[in-house]
Formats: sequence, structure tokens, C-alpha cells
Amino acid sequence: MGFYSMHLLLDFMNSSSMVVVAHPKASQAARRALLGVMTLLVAFLVGSPGLLQGATLEVHYRAGAGELVLDSQDARQQLLATLNGTQDMSREVSWSAEPSGIVRLDTTGRVIPVADGAAVISAKSRDGVTARLPVRVVHAGQPAPLHFANQIVPIFTKNGCNGGGCHGKAAGQNGFRLSLLGFEPDEDYEHLVREARGRRLFPADPPRSMLVTKGTAEMPHGGGKRLEIGSDDYRRLVRWIAQGMPAGKTNAATVQRLEVFPSARTLALNGEQQLVVTAHYSDGSTEDVTRSSLFEPNDKDMASTDANGLLKIFNQPGEFAVMVRYQGQVATFRATIPLGAPVDRLPLAKNFVDELVFKQLKQVGMPPSEISDKSTFLRRVTLDIAGRLPTPDEVRAFEADTAPGDRDRVIDRLLASTDYADYFAGKWAALLRNKRSEPKHARGTIVFHAWVRDSLAVNKSYDRFVRELLTASGEVSENPPVAWFRQVRTLQTQLEDVSQLFLGQRMQCAQCHHHPYEKWSQADYWSFGAAFSQVSYKPGVQPGEEIVIHRRGEAKATNKKNGQAMKPAALGQSAFDMSVDDDPRVFLADWMTSPKNPWFAKALVNRYWKHFFGRGLVDPEDDMRDTNPPSNPELLDALAAHFVASGFDLKELVRTLARSTTYQLSAEPNAYNAKDRHHFSRFYPRRLPAEVLLDSVNTLTGGRSQFEGLPSGTRAICLPDNSFNAQSHFLTVFGRPEGSSACECERSMEASLSQSLHLLNSKDIQTRLSADDSRPARLQTDTRPDPVKVGELYQLAYARSPSVEEVQRATEYLTRKAGASKPGKDAAETEALRIKARREAWEDLNWALLNTKEFLFNH
Amino acid sequence: MLTLAGPSNRFCDGISRRSFLRIGGLGLGGLSLPQLLQAEAAAGLRSNHKAVIMVYLPGGPPHQDTFDLKMDAPAEIRGEFRPISTTVPGFQICEHLPLLAKQAQRYAVIRSISDAIDDHSDFMCQTGRRKAGQPPGGWPTFGASVSRVLGSANNSVPAFVGMEPRMQHRPYNAANAGYAGISHDAFRPAADAKSDMVLNGITTDRLADRRALLTSFDRFRREVDASGLMAGVDGFNQQAFGMLTSSRLLEALNVEKEPAAVRERYGKGDPKVHGDAAPMLNEQFLVARRLVEAGARFVTVAYGFWDYHGNNFGNARNDLPLLDQALSALIADLHDRGLQNDVSVIAWGEFGRSPTINKDGGRDHWPRASCALLAGGGMKVGQVIGATDRLGGEPSERPVQFGEVFATLYQNLGIDVNKVTLPDLTGRPQFLVPEGCQPMRELVS
Repeated sequence: MGFYSMHLLLDFMNSSSMVVVAHPKASQAARRALLGVMTLLVAFLVGSPGLLQGATLEVHYRAGAGELVLDSQDARQQLLATLNGTQDMSREVSWSAEPSGIVRLDTTGRVIPVADGAAVISAKSRDGVTARLPVRVVHAGQPAPLHFANQIVPIFTKNGCNGGGCHGKAAGQNGFRLSLLGFEPDEDYEHLVREARGRRLFPADPPRSMLVTKGTAEMPHGGGKRLEIGSDDYRRLVRWIAQGMPAGKTNAATVQRLEVFPSARTLALNGEQQLVVTAHYSDGSTEDVTRSSLFEPNDKDMASTDANGLLKIFNQPGEFAVMVRYQGQVATFRATIPLGAPVDRLPLAKNFVDELVFKQLKQVGMPPSEISDKSTFLRRVTLDIAGRLPTPDEVRAFEADTAPGDRDRVIDRLLASTDYADYFAGKWAALLRNKRSEPKHARGTIVFHAWVRDSLAVNKSYDRFVRELLTASGEVSENPPVAWFRQVRTLQTQLEDVSQLFLGQRMQCAQCHHHPYEKWSQADYWSFGAAFSQVSYKPGVQPGEEIVIHRRGEAKATNKKNGQAMKPAALGQSAFDMSVDDDPRVFLADWMTSPKNPWFAKALVNRYWKHFFGRGLVDPEDDMRDTNPPSNPELLDALAAHFVASGFDLKELVRTLARSTTYQLSAEPNAYNAKDRHHFSRFYPRRLPAEVLLDSVNTLTGGRSQFEGLPSGTRAICLPDNSFNAQSHFLTVFGRPEGSSACECERSMEASLSQSLHLLNSKDIQTRLSADDSRPARLQTDTRPDPVKVGELYQLAYARSPSVEEVQRATEYLTRKAGASKPGKDAAETEALRIKARREAWEDLNWALLNTKEFLFNH
Repeated sequence: MLTLAGPSNRFCDGISRRSFLRIGGLGLGGLSLPQLLQAEAAAGLRSNHKAVIMVYLPGGPPHQDTFDLKMDAPAEIRGEFRPISTTVPGFQICEHLPLLAKQAQRYAVIRSISDAIDDHSDFMCQTGRRKAGQPPGGWPTFGASVSRVLGSANNSVPAFVGMEPRMQHRPYNAANAGYAGISHDAFRPAADAKSDMVLNGITTDRLADRRALLTSFDRFRREVDASGLMAGVDGFNQQAFGMLTSSRLLEALNVEKEPAAVRERYGKGDPKVHGDAAPMLNEQFLVARRLVEAGARFVTVAYGFWDYHGNNFGNARNDLPLLDQALSALIADLHDRGLQNDVSVIAWGEFGRSPTINKDGGRDHWPRASCALLAGGGMKVGQVIGATDRLGGEPSERPVQFGEVFATLYQNLGIDVNKVTLPDLTGRPQFLVPEGCQPMRELVS
């Protein structure tokens, strides 16, 4: 999703009108001069004090920065005018500078140098509140020296020329190729200046260069008009060509860090915020790159950004982040949009989960829903921990248990049951790609599934579980986790699966190019992968089996980019300190499972959070980059710390999550939180997963599944691998995963026409309903009174008793159908027809219950 | 922020590129069907949608005995069939395709498909990609991608309908929705969904009773689900009920609604399953036309069995006239109904057949060259694209890739293959066609 939306953004940029890009850099000397006058700007209060008692206005552009220095004729600076430290007034105030003739300002608060000298910039609000900022202009007559990578490439990025949909494709577009998002400026220089016999650039008449005339669409251009004649970008490009296309100094400063100002702010519904982006260079200088940066909110239902860095908030409370990108660097602005409703009556906080969720709800001003009733909780927690519906006995026992701690006792009982291990084993087996591609794999997939299940049943600590998997060698019957290496066979897939599954880091892009949203380089990719370079296979004892071995020798992997041999290393770190024959997987496991690992615990708690709450604190749950921040960072940190402190105890984690009041909130929205999708102010309903739904349909109808080679009635959640999907149209249409990726997203949780048709009308379902040992058949012969039987049906389906009205509706239907049966030839036949009609009525009732949303969803 | 391609804001290819980008985002937003419908209704985008019909010829038909006859080749290669002239000067096809010869001005033939692989499977014909080296989730079919990008055109008919049966040779049904997601897989009224579409052991009255019962029981407020999935379930349930009683889809599938003259024009074909593949149901071509008129965006038909390892000419004498009738009727029908600019037709198989005739009088697999027929879609027709060498063994002019054909079909649907991407299961944006594949300039501008 992240990448996709990025492309969308780039494309959006492509089609938007030209923007002016400012590029000059304050020199080191200027910065030193500036340090001397480093006085933090304080607001001035002038206007009519009666009206504006205490109102403060501030003009600023970067955290901690004082006097503004503009160091060349191309220097620009976006300013902000902020009221009371929170409200952006940049487009409301009137901007001016005294004395005149030194700088000029546009209506957005952007400063443009005119002549050398010092001045004071004023921002005056309509109410007469004024704030000031000193400014000094030097070298106003001098253009900044041009550097290809720092000043020309960003033009291509901002205007979408080097996007993945245009010239940034590996093969380029119509013969002209640029590196994706400008990550390889040297290659770009080569392509522009040298390739195609230099026909793209024409120093004798720069504006007639093909690069320029295509960009301005003066010459036909498939990508349309990208460059406005006379714009800052245009002028810089033309000047660069006129100067003979300088590559710039090879030792020129590079962007080290990007800063967005402000970095976080609480904003009003439908409000605005101008962002200011500063590039920090390796020589310590800084530059305003606001109009050269790309902006993207991570929740497009909450806000939009324009090319100039103006953020517009929609009418939806909550939290979101804006990702800002420039020259391969990223920075994030976080916004809180409070709803502002009173949150005075909070339910009891059971543990730190609740404390941190409620803290955020208070900040946002969004009162949580009520706590769910007992039966809703029982159904929810049984589905989520045990992957099944509660039995009527469990429903009755729980209803009868009125002593304090009743809910906690249910959680402990479920965690102790084998159903917990069965259900989570299915989840993990799919992620660990326990896939039967050929019949001969069966032995491996079955023992591997059993190993996962047993590990969960005995509550093996998660660090040990992962270590045993990563370092597995041998034959599958002796050491089942080697099955993972059989399915995930290449160094690339091994490192990609491990990083995505256990660290929440998606590395795939970095195999071939710098990840546009991430910090990972190809060197990081291949040195992380080198840990798997010595994994090798040899034929096993059994025909068709394999033995996974660690091959002796120096572990290394070749960086595809430059052919360099990379030694094994932890992600983004220096090489492991190991000797030649050591198995690097052991070092990798040591680093991963260390309590200090920045991602290992977080990735797991986030994955489990999503299991119980429907949406990850970071979502997608395995994409934990800086540019996809958690909706509640404190909570994620606290959960990870708790998980580490518990010794990576999975059951303890489940207990912590399920015991929280937050998990037990009702799905019913109150007047304020119907649209909430981030703050867990209520439970988010979700469809039952394919296996659980199939088992639940069987439970309700009294049917049994038949899977080839497994005992009749084997539950779908117990299926060891993917091979049974092909036998079951049900599992296929409801999206049981095939175990072909390490991503939870392989499981489809969407709705479809085929699903509806299947549940409403398939022979499969009708057979289950009408079989002689089906529940409707048994209910028909059951001699208990109808209301009791209807009650049991409701308990089975919904874990609750029916209302008086519901009982009445059901019994009326039974009576009406029986009464409408035709008379037979004799009394016996009449009675037989009546019984048949009643049995069909039970089938209809049963059918109706299993097609309700209350049944299909966990809510 | 929801925008759909509408009649306003037009670009030279009919619809602005930016509009499609927004649509591309819909699938990701988890937009449910009803939301999509509302959005489409708001955009006034219901009629005159673009569509594609694909006729898949499982087994790989002999290119040199259909559209690329090699009369200059030696007898052991040339074969038994004579060429006949068509309405396009200089363009000749097999004598057993006389009806197609009479309207050659209405289609184009590509004689130089060059990147097939020796694999009996619908994979290339459905996805335009090779099976090897798939991204996480797997390559989606053209139909699944279209469904994901554009959604359903209306509430009654799914975007992607696959009329093919479940064939005995399983790889003929190999391609699936891949990373586009199972809910965008073909709706299969002749296979998986077939038995679910007729009432199973209950009467219409009883279904009505059940539906009333469900309505009275199903009191769970779908507003509790902000994701829209509950509303989606309700929407699909309505669609399913419609299908079981009387609906546009059921109507569309029912050729009895057509005048007898039209049905006769298409012919009956041969209902027997050929080889380990499909029957030759000419009426499915008519159903396909009815489905796209009812709102489907992509309909596939699998037709016959073309793996002529033995008795190539006997089999072809039998099969070609049936195909000739069905395909020529479909093309003529689309013209008669003024749909030639809205509906594209493509007919092809997974590979061509060997120049050399084997000892059993058959031709063997030949992935190095094969041909495809394209009609409608507002394309520049009445032309031959590419050529093979004297023996029909290798493309000698303008080698064409499967991906280029798909790029052309996407363009006919108004989807810009240079802009729209779908994320695979790692989130990596994937273009809809292999890198470097562009709409064919010979066919579209």
C-alpha cells in the first residue's frame, strides 16, 4: 500500500501544475555568522490589548533558528506565522519588511532576496498582533554555484520525470532513462550529457535543448507539460546548460538529514498547516527545500497536501503523519486532529494497554464505546484465541459465573486449551510458507506444522522459536523447522522473509534499487542476506527428501549493484565478528533475538495486536518503516518492552491484550466514534477467516468436513498445509492462504459474489442442512419445547440467548410452515407431511442464522 | 477524494490519465461494491462502457493452417490446406475459414507472437506473463487486474466473467487473481459457480421465505463496520438473490432471449468436450456479447482442443468451420449492434505448432511463433501485423510479445499501462504488463 500510494503521489505530482523550486544553500560561513545572533524569536504583542489578551504570534522557519540569512540570488525561505504556538497564520497575516528593497515576500510568507543588507520582516494579523524576524541578505547579485546531483536531479524528482511510471523505469521511456527517483545521479548525468550523442542538451542555445523543450511541451512530450517557462526550475535548468552542464564539485556537500518544521502539531478540523522543509548538508549548511520536496499524508481520508507543502485537514478527527521526501531522505510530520468531545467517563483501565489507549483518546477527545456485554466478549475472545465458536455449555457456564475475574478466567482457560495451539499454528504455518507444492512434500509439511503447533502448545518462548527456525540444519524428521528452508530456497527469499516476518522490514526493493521510502541500500540488503549464503542442500535418506546443511567456507553475498562481496551483518550494521567456518545464521539469530533489537519484539507485538484488534498499531503490520509511524507509539513501545521483559512469552502477550478493557469494548459506536479506524475507541468487526467460518458453519448445521487423507470431521483450523484448499470451494472462495508468501495479506478478508452465492445457495450448505444427521433434523425430533431449541440455536450461532421477540419470530415461522403443509391421503401421510414441513422450517431458520452478519462477523 | 473517470476532463485517449490514477487507488482503499456503485452513479458512468472478449483456444492451434499459410514451404511442411483470398487485398487465410475471409476488414491478425513458452497452460494468454519468477502473490489475470482497477460497471454483473469450464488438463485453468485478490477472480457461471447459481433442492417460494426470514433476523447494524465490508456483504447478497431469481446476469446468460436468426448465425458448435480441454460451444460467444452488454468488462471463453499431435488436418477440417462460424458471427454481431468501438475481441492459444508434420500427421508444440486475431475496440483493423519466415518457424518481421497485446487491450479499456500499478503482496507497485510492453502502434494510436 505504501509503495503504491507513493506512485500515486508521484503521478499526482506529474499531472499537477508546475511548481517553483527553491534551491540555494546557506553557506557554512553564513551559518557561523548566524550562530552569533542565535536569539530565539519571541513574539511581540502590539495591537489592541483588550481584545487579544495573551495572544502570541511567532514568525519562524526551523526549530531553534534565529536570524534568517539569504546567501545568494537564488536563496528562498518559507516562513511560518504561528498564533499561540499552535495555529498556522502564514496565509492570514500580512507580510512586510523594513527597510524595503532588501527582501520581498509573497502572500504565503516566502522570502525572496532583492539586495544585500539587513531588514526586519513583520507579520501582522488582522487583529493587529505583530511578530518580527530579522533577515540579512548577502551575495544578492550572485547565483549559487550549480551542482548536478544537489540542484538539477531534484527538479526531475519533484516534477515526476524520474518516477517509476516514466523515465525512472529500468528501461526508461522512449529511449530516455533516468534513475528511479534520482538515486543514481552519476548515471543520470551520463544519460543526459553523454548519451544519444549529446542531442538532449544544447549549450549554444540552452532554451532549445530537447530536455527543456520536452519538459515545457514546446516539443511533443508523452508526459505532457512539466516545466513552466520562466519558473525557478526552468531558469535553473537553462542556466545549468548555459554553464556547460557542470557536474559540480565531486566533494560537494550531500544531504544528510531532512527536517520538517513543525515536526508535530495539534490541528483543528478543516484547518491548514504550512510545512517548512530544511535539508541539512554534510558540511553543516542548511537549505530551505520546501518546494522541492514531495509530501504525502499516510491517511488520505484525513488530509491532503499540495506541492508547496500546505497541508489541508479534512473533517475527520484522529492522528496521521505526513511523509516528506527529498533527495533520498525522509522526514515525518505528525498531526493530531482532536475531535474535542468530552472524555470524562472512561471505563476502568485494566492494564497499561488501556492506560495508553485512553490517554490518546483523551488527547483526541474521542470517548470510547461501552464495554461489551458478556456474551459478545465470550464469542469474540473464543474466536480470536481458539478459532472457534463457544459451545452452548460454555455460554451457560460463563453466564452463570458472576464472580469478579470471570473474563480473565475464560482467557486463561482458552489459552490452556489445545484449540489455541491449533489456531495459531495455522496462522504461523501459512506465514512460514508451509506449502505442499508436490505430494512428496507431505511428510515435511505435516511434521513442520506439528512442530509449530507443539511449540505453541508448550508456550516455547518466541525468541527460541525463531532461533530454532533460523539456525535449523538436518533432515526434516529430526529437525522439522528445516522444512522452512526447503520451501524458502534462495538467499534473497530467505532474507526477505526473515526481515518482513520477524523484523517488520520489507527489503525486497533494496535488492535492485534504493528503497524510496526506506533507508535500506543494496549494501544493507546483500550483507544481511550473506548470513544465508552458506545454507546448502543435499539429498536426504528418504527418496525426495533433502538435508539442510551449513556449508563450510567464508560466508558472503555479491552486491548486484557493484559486484562487491558483502560479509554477513545485522541489518544496517557492520559485519559480524565471526571466523570463517562459523554459521552466520547463529550470529544473525543472536542479534535478532537480543532484547536490544529495535524491531524483533515490536514486529511480533504489532502482529498480535492486529490479530486481536483488526488493525496493526503499524499497518500493514509488517511494514514498520520510519515513514509509516505507529498510531500510538507509546503503546507499541510499552507492549514490546513488556514482551521482552516476560521472556518473549506469547501466551502472556495474548493475555495482556485480551484482558484489556480496550479489547473488550463494544463494536457499537457512540455519538462520536463511528468513523474511528485508528484509535481503538471501539472494537472493529471483521469477517471470520475462511477456516473458522467453515468450522462454524459445521458447528451450526451439525455438518462435518471431509478432507482427503484426514479423519472425517477434521476441523479446517487444524489443516496442516495449503493442499486442502483445492478440495474445498468454501476455503478457496473465502480466501484461505496458499502459504506462498510471508505476508499476512495473502489471506483475503474481502467479500465477493462467489462467497455470497455459496453461503446462500450452494449444494454444499444445503446438504449440510438437510442431511439426516443435521442439526435441523435433530431439532425436529428433539422433544423439548420450540423456544428452548431456538434458544440453543442462538447460543450456538451468537453465543447469546435470543430476545423474546426473536423467539417469537422463530416459533411463529415453525408453526406457520407446519400449518401450511398439505393434507395427505390419510392421517399418517398428513402427519408425515407436517413433520417434513417442520423440518424444512428448522432448515430455513438455521440457514437464516448462518447468513446473518452477526454470524459471519466477529464483532 | 473519490474520482472516477467520467465524460468530462478528456484527454486525447478519451479519458484523462489522472482520473485513472484515482480509480487505481480504489481497490486499495478497500472500497466496497456499494460505495463503488454510488461513486460510479455519481460520476454518471453506467452506459457505454468498454469491454474485452477473449477466446482462448486451449492446446495451441496451428498458425500455419489458419492465418499464416506457407505455400512456398516444402510439402512436408506446407500441409494440405489451400489459402483463400479475403476482403483485404493481399491477405489470405485458410480455406476452412470462409466466413472470416468475408469480413477480414473487421479484424487484424498478428502473425508474429514471439514469446510463448512450451507449456500447455492458459497462463500466458490470461496474464501476459511467464509462470517462472512470479512476485509474491503471483501474477494476476488480465480480468482480475481489470476488475481491481475499474470495479464492476453495475450492480448486476461482475466485472470479470469466465465462461470456461473446469478443464480436465488442470493447467488450462492455471491462471488466477494472484495478488489482485480472490474477490477479483473470475465469476465462473460454467464452472465453480455453476451449481451455486441454480436452486439446490429448494423452490423459489422457499427461497423467498428464507430471504424474508433472513431480512427479519439480520438486525446487525452494518454501520458498526467503518471499513465497509459489512455493506459489501449486503451488496453481494442482494446480487446473489437477484441472480437466483431473475436478474440481468441470469438474463445475459440465457441465449433463449435472442431471436432465432441471431442464434442460428452463431450456430451450435459441438457440445462434446474435446480432448482434455473444452467443448466448442458457439453460443458462449453469444453469451459473451450479452454479458458485456449487461455490464461485464472482460469475458473469457475457452473453445475446443487444438493440441493436434496427430491427424492435424482431419481435426482442423472438423474444428475450423465451427470456430469460423462462431468468431465471424461475434464480430459481425458487434458491428451490427454498433459495439465495434467499445468491445475488443481477441482469439489465440498458448503457442503455435511445428512446421514439420510428424509421422502421425500431426504438428507438435511450437512456442517460437504463433498468431492472434484482434477485432473491435476501435482498433485499426483490416491488416496483418508481423510475419514468420518461409517455413512459419520464426517471426521474421515485427516480433510481438503477449504483453504488447495486453497493453493494447488495457488501452482499449481506457487503462494507461504506463501509469496504473497494482501492489503485489510485498506492497511493491507492479505495472499491469511486463516492462517495455506498450500498446501496439499498429492497432491503436
